[in-house]
Amino acid sequence: MRRLLFALAIGLLMVSTYLGLTTGQIAPVQRNILYAHVPNAVCALLCFVVLLIASIGYLGNGRQGWDLVAIASAEAGFVFATILNATGMIFSRAEWNIWWTPSPRLVSSAILWFLYAVYLILRVSLPGSRHRNARICAVFGIIAFLDVPLVFISARFLPDIHRPNFSFDSGWQTAALMLGMAGTVLLAGGLIWLRTSLLHSNLKLEEELFP
Amino acid sequence: MKDFWLGLRAIVIKDIVVELRAKQVLPTMIVLGMLIVFILRMASESSSTSAGAPVMGAAALWIAFLFSGLLAQERSFAAEQQNGCIDGLLLAPLDPGTIYLAKLVANVVMLSIFELIVVPIGLISFDLHVGGRWPQLLAVLLLGNLGISSVGTLFSAAVQLTRTRGSLLSIVVLVILMPMLIPASFALLVLFGAMPEQVGGTGSLAFVGSFRAALGYLLAFDAVFVVACWLLFPVVIQE
Repeated sequence: MRRLLFALAIGLLMVSTYLGLTTGQIAPVQRNILYAHVPNAVCALLCFVVLLIASIGYLGNGRQGWDLVAIASAEAGFVFATILNATGMIFSRAEWNIWWTPSPRLVSSAILWFLYAVYLILRVSLPGSRHRNARICAVFGIIAFLDVPLVFISARFLPDIHRPNFSFDSGWQTAALMLGMAGTVLLAGGLIWLRTSLLHSNLKLEEELFP
Repeated sequence: MKDFWLGLRAIVIKDIVVELRAKQVLPTMIVLGMLIVFILRMASESSSTSAGAPVMGAAALWIAFLFSGLLAQERSFAAEQQNGCIDGLLLAPLDPGTIYLAKLVANVVMLSIFELIVVPIGLISFDLHVGGRWPQLLAVLLLGNLGISSVGTLFSAAVQLTRTRGSLLSIVVLVILMPMLIPASFALLVLFGAMPEQVGGTGSLAFVGSFRAALGYLLAFDAVFVVACWLLFPVVIQE
């Protein structure tokens, strides 16, 4: 089942890449990074939503499964946020000749990356009991999410050098973007799923070795 | 309601009396704040007469508030760890939320005393002029103070047991306060005359728009942070 999910995700991404390189090319060549940048941005935000839901779920009923989902989504989200910022910087350098500038969208993407980074650091540096640590991380996840609407609002509504949407010339370009989006979202789901079950086995092993 | 006020008052007075007698953290805070202001003043020597001074001044003040505030917040629950004071506090017939609010008030008072001393020093050393807008300056400082203290007080209770307490608290608090510091620094820049009242354009400060909007953002951040931290505090404090 999971293997199928990954196969589908990678297949979609390959089709999207093929379209992006052939019929769906966007005029100045550097703009094609959009096909990687936008889906990763969406996934970085989606992972935070998953993190929020898992955190609330954990505080709600204290089931360990929620906590594992929260860790998994933070790890996946960190990867997507890193790719989001890296591709954004490459594009910005090619298009506007600067690596980074404090415009709302760029600042808020950086904040998103920092939130994930601090969450992962907090995960490994708390010394208390497992449940207490999980609770504190869940609280951080919820409070950190209060910053995320800002990221979203700034990406859609505020005046910025960063444009909220491209006008596409052909259906092929839209298709390439949409396929890339679907593939990346599936990949994110698969990664969270895989990591959760790995953490679960890890925990069971620990319980058997050190009861 | 009466119990709430009594409990709140008792904890706030206890914290402030302990600090006044032991003088453990307030002197450290003030000296750290002064050092930050002076180091940034030395580093910006060439910008004393140009337009750069207000910019550096506003940045210096916010950095000083953040880091000195962290000292006060770290202290507020670390002190309770000695001799198991925290257990006594939790056993008291009080809502955990009240403990949070009392600690928050104590931290806001500490940071306010700190600001009373460090802000004039910052104004003098960077040669800043607010042009008679003292009430506005006071409002910005108080709102910023409340925002910094709210998040810091919650996570101070959370990370109290860790070996790397101070550094962990600082990254957690700074990353959550990052968005709040955009309108906060905008407001100080306007007051010091480094920015016009209304700004358009595409920078991250320009998106705040106007001084009035900056105050609105600060108020909104404070309200959201205080309510969220107050609601989540019982979860953090239970063993």
